[in-house]
Amino acid sequence: MDGFTISVLSNIALFSFLAISAWVLLIAGEISFGQQAYFALGAYGAGIATAVWQWPFALGVAFGIGLGALVGGLVAWPAVRLSGLHYAIATLAFAELVRATLNVFTYRRDVGGVATGPDGANGFRDIRWVYEAGLPPGAYLLVIAGCLAGVIGLVALLTRGRFMARLRIVGEDPILAAMMGLPVARTRIAAAALAGGIAALGGALYAHLATYVEPAQFSVMTGVHALAYGLIGGLGTVFGPILGVLIDIGLLESLRIFAGYRMVVFGGLVAVVLILRPRGVLDERMMHRVAAWLRR
Amino acid sequence: MLALDSLSKHFGGVRAVDGISLTLKEGEIFGLIGPNGSGKSTTINLITGLYTPTTGTVRLDGRDLTAMAQHERTAMGVARTFQNIRLFGNLTVAENLWVAQNGHEQRRAHFLGRWFRAGGEHSPEIGELLKFSRLHSKRDVQASALSFGEMRRLEMARALASRPRVLLLDEPAAGASREDGQILAERIRETRDRGVTVLLIEHMMELVMGISDRVAVLNFGRKIAEGSPAEVQANADVRAAYLGSKHKDEELIHA
Repeated sequence: MDGFTISVLSNIALFSFLAISAWVLLIAGEISFGQQAYFALGAYGAGIATAVWQWPFALGVAFGIGLGALVGGLVAWPAVRLSGLHYAIATLAFAELVRATLNVFTYRRDVGGVATGPDGANGFRDIRWVYEAGLPPGAYLLVIAGCLAGVIGLVALLTRGRFMARLRIVGEDPILAAMMGLPVARTRIAAAALAGGIAALGGALYAHLATYVEPAQFSVMTGVHALAYGLIGGLGTVFGPILGVLIDIGLLESLRIFAGYRMVVFGGLVAVVLILRPRGVLDERMMHRVAAWLRR
Repeated sequence: MLALDSLSKHFGGVRAVDGISLTLKEGEIFGLIGPNGSGKSTTINLITGLYTPTTGTVRLDGRDLTAMAQHERTAMGVARTFQNIRLFGNLTVAENLWVAQNGHEQRRAHFLGRWFRAGGEHSPEIGELLKFSRLHSKRDVQASALSFGEMRRLEMARALASRPRVLLLDEPAAGASREDGQILAERIRETRDRGVTVLLIEHMMELVMGISDRVAVLNFGRKIAEGSPAEVQANADVRAAYLGSKHKDEELIHA
């Protein structure tokens, strides 16, 4: 594989984490414009762990995931009462708060004679664990793909264990769900923690691929894209958001057919899909039909 | 068994329910009628806990439900259907029943404990409910793909799945044909015969007067009459309340 293909595939996989994260909350009936904040927390958390504290890679990534899940759960705790537009604005505000904080957050330590760590708006350089370990881009792509497979497997496990069903139930009609005794608030907090952890995993992997991150990368538009991927790809399966990423990054961005008009095409595509298929291409009804067909 | 004591609900200056007292006896079908906006649905919402009463209490077998959350009332044995059908459209028919049956156990069960539990919607009890509501051929169909009448039947089966002691039916025959109404009446009787007390809100007078043991009439949030169907139909206040529409009045007399 040439460098370009590897970089495109890496991008698709990394954005998939963010898209799945927003998708989990869409399933729970919540529209979040702020999942990029957890991507950022994962990137900074894992980056600090490996580059500044010199932790092993796996441990650093785990730290990033834990940070994202913890903050996701904590933020959801008060936000769980909000719904619709109010929830969307709260997530947007929180993500901007994280970005503004990272803009002034400086934490530099001397590592082998070089000052290393986040330096406010100047960003965070030298997250070099992967390169120092001598991992070529192709091998690191396998690491990313493995992690993505892990997330897909986790969602499959949660589907089998009915957590996803409970999430869909709560998302579809929280009042009815509450009447039947389902723990609506607890389910939504768990979903937010899960979504935070998944986005943070993507961020952690991204930071080690790019070696450099800065707060400006985690803007609202990143979060809006993540949300749009789930909406066009479909809410019926975890492959929905991945399909969304494939369409946007795989086709529109990488092939450069539409060159400068990419965002116009993407925006139009989102609008058309939302009109024709309000819950995306791979929506619940289609997945239900697929499941019924497979059972035969 | 179910006792409402001077129950009121005010929305700003509107007294949707204004001091209603009712007592349902174990195993009876109790009809609650009244013109549109007389407070029937609000009464059900107060019993199930969707609304908090301004004043008054709701008791089930002497236990005060007034401060309980909706799901606690469900666990106590209060179940309902909705005037505007509410189902989980993305779930199958059987799954809708499974949720109603197990919502409560799900709450208590440990989060991880149920991870690997699957296939619960194939329980014999759910099979029986499907047969009872004539939905057995639709068990794996998404609820949103059902016909209107099937959705109504699923709602009632869903209410029964939580094993209620008292079932609140909010206009179950709305939009139904006369034959469907007769089948529904049969189902409501069967439900009562299984030991479930029924509170029935309905506009189809034939249905209410035909199957209710007792009937109460609401007007402007107050109870204006209560008694056997025959007594209520003969009541002058009731006729006056319905006289706004001549048609309704005749319907009431001929029913």
